[in-house]
Amino acid sequence: MKMLSSFAGKSPWLYRINAGSCNGCDVELATTAIIPRYDVERLGCQYCASPKHADIVLITGPITARVKDKVLSVYNEVPNPKVTVAIGVCPISGGVFRDSYAMTCSLDELVPVDVNVPGCPPRPQAIIEGIAEAIKIFGSRS
Amino acid sequence: MPEILKLMLEVLIFPGGLFVLVLGLLMKGLERKLRARLQRRVGPPLLQPFFDLFKLMQKETTIPEEAPAGLFQALPLAGACSMAFAAAMVPIAGAYSAPKELGDLVVLFYLLAVPAIVLMLAGSVSGSPFGAIAFSRELSIMMAYEAPILLVLLSVAIRVGVAQGGWIALSLNDIVQYQMQHGAFLFDPLMWPALLSFLLFFPANLGIAPFDIPEAESEVLEGPMLEYSGPLLGMFKMMSAMKSGVVVGLGIALFYPNAPAGVLGLGCFVVKCVLVSSIGVAVLRTSMGRMRVDQAFWFLLKWPGILGALSLAAVLWRH
Repeated sequence: MKMLSSFAGKSPWLYRINAGSCNGCDVELATTAIIPRYDVERLGCQYCASPKHADIVLITGPITARVKDKVLSVYNEVPNPKVTVAIGVCPISGGVFRDSYAMTCSLDELVPVDVNVPGCPPRPQAIIEGIAEAIKIFGSRS
Repeated sequence: MPEILKLMLEVLIFPGGLFVLVLGLLMKGLERKLRARLQRRVGPPLLQPFFDLFKLMQKETTIPEEAPAGLFQALPLAGACSMAFAAAMVPIAGAYSAPKELGDLVVLFYLLAVPAIVLMLAGSVSGSPFGAIAFSRELSIMMAYEAPILLVLLSVAIRVGVAQGGWIALSLNDIVQYQMQHGAFLFDPLMWPALLSFLLFFPANLGIAPFDIPEAESEVLEGPMLEYSGPLLGMFKMMSAMKSGVVVGLGIALFYPNAPAGVLGLGCFVVKCVLVSSIGVAVLRTSMGRMRVDQAFWFLLKWPGILGALSLAAVLWRH
């Protein structure tokens, strides 16, 4: 069992949730951090299309009133053990949207956040560092 | 009693079950590494599919509320078991000849259809709309490739059967034996249409680009597997790994089984599998986009169909 859990950290699958983001962080995630140039597949990562396959959840954007419940229900679909990474400054404080009427709460009031990657948007290197940090946490949790 | 024991060993350890699983996962790992190198990436380690499988075994299993729990859990198991049996029915020249008790080419043909049926049922049973889309896609692709592969199997079986004095040889052992004595069909121009037809069939059957339509990640969110998590998803991964071993193994047995006896023969088999998965699958996956389902349907019905009919006609005409 011990040996099995040491393998788990080598295969973290990523899932993205856009919680009302302006798409800046999503572009950084999808086209910069995960394209061949930066290659997180070398860490064993793989984007998965279904939340049921995910290990590490990447959440971007402020939590707007429209998506709050949906974010929570998709987050609850992810089977345990899981790790949450907040990408960008929006999930922390709301960023440029902080005084908006559509903002409800910061991400850590909604779900437990393990790693914060601040930036507007964060650099690809920062995102990869955040994912590497999350992989360590995932390995210790399983 | 020892007969039963031997059969069980053949289905569970070698060449079914464990052996074909390890082979399939290694092929998958090599293909992912090569694909990464072709895109000038570093890529995952060679053993990545094993890590994925070990991790999935420790994750939580979730069952959707709408799904009947029994069927939902039984499907991946049925798929993996059918492939373990199918692997025990494919002879490895010089190292292993399939026991008669497991059945002949016809049974193997039916077993090869089981994973597709399992995936279709899994998609529709999970209660997800994406699963339903995957169901219809998988069904239409399957309708298109089943007929050509039957023509290919028939032309090879009739070719060997007639040469042996009967009219059809339904035992894969006979087909392998015949080629060991008279040369592989790979070098026989008469069989090239059948070979081409098989080469078009195998990416469709294994869900490799451009035919990875039912499991398309970006469109239907991996379709049938969408609602599966943890060990059940791992079982599906095992099924597809074993299936790639079985289908490539069947191709080797049908067209180029020639190998020296003993452990060397086994080595030859593994090298051939690895060559097919690296050159064929990795290059296909990197160089091809994904077809639309109607394009793939007509393509698969037309070209492998024509080639298969051509090879059957050639074989019948020759005798």
